[in-house]
Amino acid sequence: MSFSHIIRGRVWIFGENVDTDQILPGYAMAEPTENLKKFALAGSEHPNFAKEVQPDDIIIADNNFGPGSSREQAAVAIKEAGTGAIIAPSFARIFRRNSINIGMPLVKANLLAHFEHGQMAELDLEEFKITNLDTNEVFHFEPIAPNVMATLEAGGLIEKVRKLMLGA
Amino acid sequence: MNVIEKHLAKASGLPEVKAGQDVTINVDLVIAHDVTAPMAVDQFKRIGIKEVYDPKKVVFVIDHIFPAATVNARKAHNKLYNFHKEYNIQIFNKGEGVIHQVVAEEKFATRGDIVLGADSHTCTAGAYGAIAIPVGSTELAATMATGTLDLEVPYVDLIHLDERPDQSISAKDIILSLIGKFTTDGFTDRGIIFSGEGFTQLSMAEKMTICNMCIEMGVMIAYMALTEEEIGETDNQYYLKASDFEPVIACPHSPGNVKPLRELAGLKINQVVVGSCTNGRIEDMRIAAEIVKGKKIHPDVTMIVVPASRRVLDQMEEEGLPKIFRDADAIVTNPGCGSCFGAHMGLATEEDVVISTTNRNFPGRMGHTEAQIYLASPRVAANAAVAGCLVEGGKV
Repeated sequence: MSFSHIIRGRVWIFGENVDTDQILPGYAMAEPTENLKKFALAGSEHPNFAKEVQPDDIIIADNNFGPGSSREQAAVAIKEAGTGAIIAPSFARIFRRNSINIGMPLVKANLLAHFEHGQMAELDLEEFKITNLDTNEVFHFEPIAPNVMATLEAGGLIEKVRKLMLGA
Repeated sequence: MNVIEKHLAKASGLPEVKAGQDVTINVDLVIAHDVTAPMAVDQFKRIGIKEVYDPKKVVFVIDHIFPAATVNARKAHNKLYNFHKEYNIQIFNKGEGVIHQVVAEEKFATRGDIVLGADSHTCTAGAYGAIAIPVGSTELAATMATGTLDLEVPYVDLIHLDERPDQSISAKDIILSLIGKFTTDGFTDRGIIFSGEGFTQLSMAEKMTICNMCIEMGVMIAYMALTEEEIGETDNQYYLKASDFEPVIACPHSPGNVKPLRELAGLKINQVVVGSCTNGRIEDMRIAAEIVKGKKIHPDVTMIVVPASRRVLDQMEEEGLPKIFRDADAIVTNPGCGSCFGAHMGLATEEDVVISTTNRNFPGRMGHTEAQIYLASPRVAANAAVAGCLVEGGKV
């Protein structure tokens, strides 16, 4: 699986504290992995997210995205639904690590004042910038740490460990 | 170095570590349950190696949806049992109880051990001094292979409580008050050391209640210091007084939406849940049983009692508590997670108002997204079960 450093998609706006029960409700937890995407953000302010999301759409949210459970299914559901990246001022720790471990980019930035729901955005993970393609405003963010970029570029932690243990 | 850093230094084989430093630590125990372990099993198999790093140190506990409420839940149980047979790891799949309680009872970890758990409430083990870190399934799978974890040494803060609050104030009131004060992301990526007689004099059950909910403030590692332990240098220090505390409740829909019980007196409720890894131990059961003993719970109320483990239930039976609950019109279920995370055994609708001793009340946590879930101590919950509403004071 090749990793793309340019992600272009429609913007979904979310508030703060989008917790793991909103991202993937308990009743969906025992679903087979391939079904999880159908429940992505089912309990959130955008319950139709899973139906309407298109490949590489970008979530722009407020503080503390992903608090609560360690359920990696939450990150998997969002990624497998097609989401290209999540941008928020801060992330809960376990959700952040889960997302990176499965190869979904997270960007720390507060962009709520600069994007509206449904606008087009382009995320550039080489130049560490985000462009609002509707207004042409450009925003720069802190470079992603090299070890995190390495995990993302490998396609996730398992691929990284495979290389480490098997030289594969 | 502070005491958390000392334990991390030892686990990483380095003479010294400091906050912000990237280290690789050796892991003493890896735990997961029926919701997180199936994905970890899939990820582990993708790595393509023949053995886990140490089968004695990998423990699966089936607690979340047991007995299986759905065909898919049973498939998950079977997957874990097959993995146990193939890789010789340890499994608890007979209804022994909630993972954090079972791991504590089995004494799988001791002070200073590194415990990695694919469950956010792994921090419970900080009550007995384990360095307990919650992760997701993929990170757990990687550690099942390597026996190590890469992490950034956290900044560590101190919370000091001068003395034990009086008996009307429970450990649940203390931790809910802390979450209200410090907010749900107040300690994201950080460690907390609890010190002072207010914490050291608590029972192990009470310490577990407090450490259990530290994740509700974003904490990475929670650690109960011993009285004689040298704590060392911490980043921020918070000195609290016993007199600052009173009985409280977390209101919908966040564990951080904490209000004094007195402001909510009279609020009608129709379901009560006593149990979970937060408050499902024998000490909690005794408190709830004492309150409902010889009474009937209110006609409007369904009361569900979920022992945290088989050993808790055994002890309850020895003391006659299940009979007390049944005579009061409550039900006592099999040990496990119960309805805490909304998969089975007592879900709520948009018309229900639930008071629960569990740890989360996010929208939809226990069924319908508009179900009103209030979090409180066993004492407050049991008093509400009898009265049909929240009661200020009530039987202590």
